[in-house]
Amino acid sequence: MSGERADTLAPPGSGRDAGRALLEVRDLRVRFSRGGRRVHAVNGLSYRLNAGEILAIIGESGSGKSVSARTLMGLLPPSAQVSGSARFEGTELLGMPEREMRGWRGAEIAMVFQDPARSLNPTMRIGAQITEAIRAHSDMSRKQAAARAVELLKLVHLPAAERRFYEYPHQLSGGMRQRVVIAIALAGEPRLLIADEATTALDVTTQAQIMELLLELQQRLGMAIILISHDLGLAASYAKNVVVMYAGRAVEYASAEELFAHVRMPYTQALLGAIPLLEREPHALLPVIPGQPPDPAALPAGCPFRPRCAAATDACLEPPPFEEHEPGHWWACWHPAKDPAEDPARDPGEPGGAHARPVKDGVQG
Amino acid sequence: MTVALDRRYRSVPARLFGSPAFRMVGKRLLMAIPIMLGVSVLTFWVLNLIPGNAAQQLLGAEATPEQIRALEAQMGLNEPAVSRYFDWLGGAVTGDLGRSFVSGQDVAGQLGERLTVSAELTGLALIASVALAVPVALLAARRPDGLFDRVSMFVSVSGLSVASYVLALVLVLVFAVRFAVLPAIGYVPFAEDPVENLRGMVLPATAIAVPLFCFYTRFLRGDLVDQLQGQDYIVTAQAKGIGPWQVLLRHAFRNSSFGLITVVGLNLSTLIGSTVIIESIFAIPGLGQLMLQAINTRDVLVVQACVIVFAVVTVLANLITDLLYAVLDPRIRYGSG
Repeated sequence: MSGERADTLAPPGSGRDAGRALLEVRDLRVRFSRGGRRVHAVNGLSYRLNAGEILAIIGESGSGKSVSARTLMGLLPPSAQVSGSARFEGTELLGMPEREMRGWRGAEIAMVFQDPARSLNPTMRIGAQITEAIRAHSDMSRKQAAARAVELLKLVHLPAAERRFYEYPHQLSGGMRQRVVIAIALAGEPRLLIADEATTALDVTTQAQIMELLLELQQRLGMAIILISHDLGLAASYAKNVVVMYAGRAVEYASAEELFAHVRMPYTQALLGAIPLLEREPHALLPVIPGQPPDPAALPAGCPFRPRCAAATDACLEPPPFEEHEPGHWWACWHPAKDPAEDPARDPGEPGGAHARPVKDGVQG
Repeated sequence: MTVALDRRYRSVPARLFGSPAFRMVGKRLLMAIPIMLGVSVLTFWVLNLIPGNAAQQLLGAEATPEQIRALEAQMGLNEPAVSRYFDWLGGAVTGDLGRSFVSGQDVAGQLGERLTVSAELTGLALIASVALAVPVALLAARRPDGLFDRVSMFVSVSGLSVASYVLALVLVLVFAVRFAVLPAIGYVPFAEDPVENLRGMVLPATAIAVPLFCFYTRFLRGDLVDQLQGQDYIVTAQAKGIGPWQVLLRHAFRNSSFGLITVVGLNLSTLIGSTVIIESIFAIPGLGQLMLQAINTRDVLVVQACVIVFAVVTVLANLITDLLYAVLDPRIRYGSG
């Protein structure tokens, strides 16, 4: 039903200046059946990622961003039903037999997870956990793999790498553990690294260090990175392109600069408004998006953001198509925000929009 | 620089003696002393409360009060309980557990003999149950709700709902009476005839092992599935591209083994209880049988010694459990933080 539409629709990112596509996701849908309830986690997600680029996928928890990433690696529970297409250099990843998929995991696509305290095996030495990843995709001897593991630990700037090789995860700090998780991800020299909220569990200083590390590795090793986050500010600082997800679908796609300069989708606008800014008055209420993200088991008809959107009208009962309205800028909205340049009522200095702003901030007045 | 790395792996004994675990052993053994004292006082007191004593039991119902009093005096049973207890305690600390009222044999010697028999029986049952439960649980956890999982679940639930003495009688009926392939009763010392000894152990050990096997299988399978479905480090391992068995064995099983060890350690003390029944059914001259006979004849010193041995085994089982944690779990071995 939705298949024929996806075929005629080139995914975002395949514009004029599109380079060699590393990953092309088209109309990805993931559904879970839980206790008789159907949970629609991803509802037709499309994007394209070029080799060596950083793409950010932004959304609230439950927006389907992590599920969509795990789908690429075939790491979903057996109850998941997946449709659509995800081609990695032309090879279809979805529906690939488990045995074949194993050859791609770690070797072509690797993943870094949210909580480094939980993503390492507490009973295994750091070294053993890295060499296991190395030896999964090479025929190195134990000794060679150990030497390579120490190299990797140095590559992620883990202090005293030789000593850490013999330590256990609980002997390391959170930031150091995340470096180890990144070293494991690099073990198979992947061309795509998925960082799934990789800095969320870390304190702010460590967050910045880990992001800098990812950026450095991306430039040194020429890897592409999918940066999954709820933090639009983070995405803007590091990603080339940004996909904003809501209720399992893409609602806006643009380059990071374009998105910040000309935000269109009211949801993105509201997200931008919710970023704390130093310029704001002290003790001013931080704008929040009213309401709750929709229950993925009972999505509203039409635009999923309609119940929370200040600009919503009856037109929004019809689902807005996700289309390229301006070159390189895609959105799904019947009432996109106007360009700040064309809209003198808005304060051009601040990225946030009227929809997310409580009256107290007084921008409307 | 990286070549010399391998030498830093320390051997297991080196880890043990240099670690907090070694200090823990000392502390635990010291703590065992008040436990032993408490257990012995309690046993002595309870046996004292039960009407009738060894003299009455030996002489039978026909005996005259004079005869009983005479024998009581000869056995020292006419002395107050407190002084008898301290007499016993004084001997016990020097390793002299007294002589049996009934057989006149040295209690310590008798105990040693019986203990080897019981240890063989429970040891065989424990090893067999764990050795079978681990592969079955791993196969079941490999595909939760798969055919093997369902079959093993059915078997283990059935096995758990059968009491071990019922199972023992069924085993005797099938293998000793109907097919006559294994002896129903009796015990041949291992040194005399190892083959006969093991043949005699098969049925009683099976009767003890089956419920244990079922319990361990269910427990380990459940824990493995929890690890596989709920733990992030499993996803990390899968994302490396390693095979499902490697994920199961190196990652999930290693973490699940702590739970299994706890359960086995706790089971060990209840295991002693089940040997009492099984040894009686199969006429195996073990500790359980000895204690049962001694209680019937009010052979206080023998009961006392048996109870102390059971207490020691329980303390040691808990100690070994904790030590195994220390060997397996680096968070305990090196202290947290």
